[in-house]
Amino acid sequence: MNLESPIIKIVELSKFYGKSTIPSLDRVNLTINRGEKFGIFGPNGAGKTTLISILCNILTASKGTVEYTIEENKQNMHAILNMIGFVPQDFAFYPDLTAQQNLSYFGGIYGISADEVKSKSTHLLEILGLSSVAHQKVRSFSGGMKRRLNLAIGLIHSPKVLFLDEPTVGIDIHSKLTIMSLLEKLNKSGTTVIYTSHHLKEAEDFCSRVALIDNGKIIALGSIDELVKQNDTLNLEELMIKLTGKELRD
Amino acid sequence: MKKLRVSLLKEILLLLSDKVGLLLMFAMPLLLVFIITIVQDSAFKLVNEHKIQMLIVNKDKGKLGDTLIAKFVQSGNFEVEIDNAINKTAIKRETLKRDKQISILIPKDFSKRVDQNAEKISSLMLTEFGVLDSTEMLGNVSVSKNNKLDFYFDPILQENFRLSILSGVNTILMGMENRRMLQQLFADMGYDGIPIKIQKELSNQNVSINSIPASIGGSEMVPNSSQHNVPAWSLFAMFFMVISLGGNVVRERLSGSFIRLQTIPKAFLLTIWSKVIVFLTVALTQLAVLVCVGIFVFPHIGLPQLTIPTNILALIVISVLSAYAAISYSLLIGVYAKTQEQAGGFGAISIIIFAAIGGIWVPSFIMPEYMQNIGLISPLHWCIEGYYTLFLKNGTWNELTGTLIYLILFILVCQLFTFIKLKKQNYI
Repeated sequence: MNLESPIIKIVELSKFYGKSTIPSLDRVNLTINRGEKFGIFGPNGAGKTTLISILCNILTASKGTVEYTIEENKQNMHAILNMIGFVPQDFAFYPDLTAQQNLSYFGGIYGISADEVKSKSTHLLEILGLSSVAHQKVRSFSGGMKRRLNLAIGLIHSPKVLFLDEPTVGIDIHSKLTIMSLLEKLNKSGTTVIYTSHHLKEAEDFCSRVALIDNGKIIALGSIDELVKQNDTLNLEELMIKLTGKELRD
Repeated sequence: MKKLRVSLLKEILLLLSDKVGLLLMFAMPLLLVFIITIVQDSAFKLVNEHKIQMLIVNKDKGKLGDTLIAKFVQSGNFEVEIDNAINKTAIKRETLKRDKQISILIPKDFSKRVDQNAEKISSLMLTEFGVLDSTEMLGNVSVSKNNKLDFYFDPILQENFRLSILSGVNTILMGMENRRMLQQLFADMGYDGIPIKIQKELSNQNVSINSIPASIGGSEMVPNSSQHNVPAWSLFAMFFMVISLGGNVVRERLSGSFIRLQTIPKAFLLTIWSKVIVFLTVALTQLAVLVCVGIFVFPHIGLPQLTIPTNILALIVISVLSAYAAISYSLLIGVYAKTQEQAGGFGAISIIIFAAIGGIWVPSFIMPEYMQNIGLISPLHWCIEGYYTLFLKNGTWNELTGTLIYLILFILVCQLFTFIKLKKQNYI
């Protein structure tokens, strides 16, 4: 795997909400390489979700460009969207459908054949421990089960780049381990994983490279070891406190 | 096509899981159309077919009181109970106690006064014809206005129903007075009574009135409670889908499904169109169910059968446009509402107001002019106008032009505002 081959190139990206003159993202420059486990961290309101939302076509940028380098060498949005997978922080599925029906729908809407959707959903439900509840309405699921299904839906079309916004928030250790283990496997098979989390220990174990964002700007970028050493701190948590301060953020 | 099929399947599954929404969309209009049609039909039958319960207290010392009672019985409109023992002060109480709709007190000098009036009118006529000299006229030339019947009624009777009964009583009374006056006229001219030949002619004298609906193109449709209620409540049901469809859109928006759909190529518009197709099918199914009930079920429960307009193509066009207008309005509410409760509450209240001002519950023409003008903004007004043009007047495309233009404009405006909101939120 060529880690130096860029898959996403972000140039001077800025985002202003409504008529606000304060940018939520302020001239962000960032390159994410193919096969990376890239973490985006920062306090609440730093601009993490805004950045991921722009990368996933949920929001439009006010200024700057995002360039994807995909195998087919096509830069059209259709091809890009087919290549990426998005696992939002909120549960983005239909609680009145079963887990299987949700996967069949999202797989089908990507244009995957019914047979392929069936085999992929069976596989994903199996590795995420949801096989026994595949035909139950999602409304009855626990928080951990919903979180795992949320991930499964983001993976149904086998994306090359996977965006995860707080994928382990509010779940027990068992569900968390299952999710992180799957993400490791996916990355080993070539999927680029870009994720945000407030669990800094989890991030430290998982990410190969991170970007720290505060007030819409990237304030640190590199591998965790490098950044910790450069700033004379012990771990990612200390690094974050040192660079962003201790005051409360909302 | 495969994506559309998957999306349609998802919408159908979501619809089937919304039991309350389905109940509102199918059971509610069925109940409404049954109840309202039965009630309206009963009111019609009460006036036209049922006998009115009447109590008569006859204090008349002559024969005309009995004659009048006989006329009431002969008319077939009244179920007469006679009790001459009741006095004037007790008659109100007895009317209610005996569950009578009306009571009539015939005064003791009723015959005498009718006879006096007949004699006076006869004298006046004979004087006018030159048969009698004015000096030969009997008594006072003026006709007495003091001959009065007391008419008592149950206070729960509605004004229009009471006036309708009163009109029937007046007709009978007038007929009797005229006959008595003719008898007197013939008597004054030396006859023993009205000659039989003339009596026969008099009994045939009634001019019969043909009641013909002012429909176009020689329609056989007869306006009745079914022709009014089936289209009206079908439209109400169509627009009431705002609760189900509006809520469905808000739920998807708030659940985050819409956000995920933004990250899938062409998925968002496909989802919106799937909703339109599924709910259009639901709306037309609602109409079909209610029309089938009107045609096949109503006659079995004594209600008038619904007659389908001859211009089937126009019926289909108006139905599809009405359903599409309802869907466009529901989507608009769905994208602007912040919560499901807001969509359901605002949606339901707005439809009830649209129905009220649009003439679904009571015809627009009986409203004050300013309300009729306000009613023009209601899409339900234009939809029902279109249906009435077809179901009651058997109208042509020309008569439907206004309805078609308004509905198309309403759909375009709703979709424009929906598009603006979705565009602003970067969904499309």
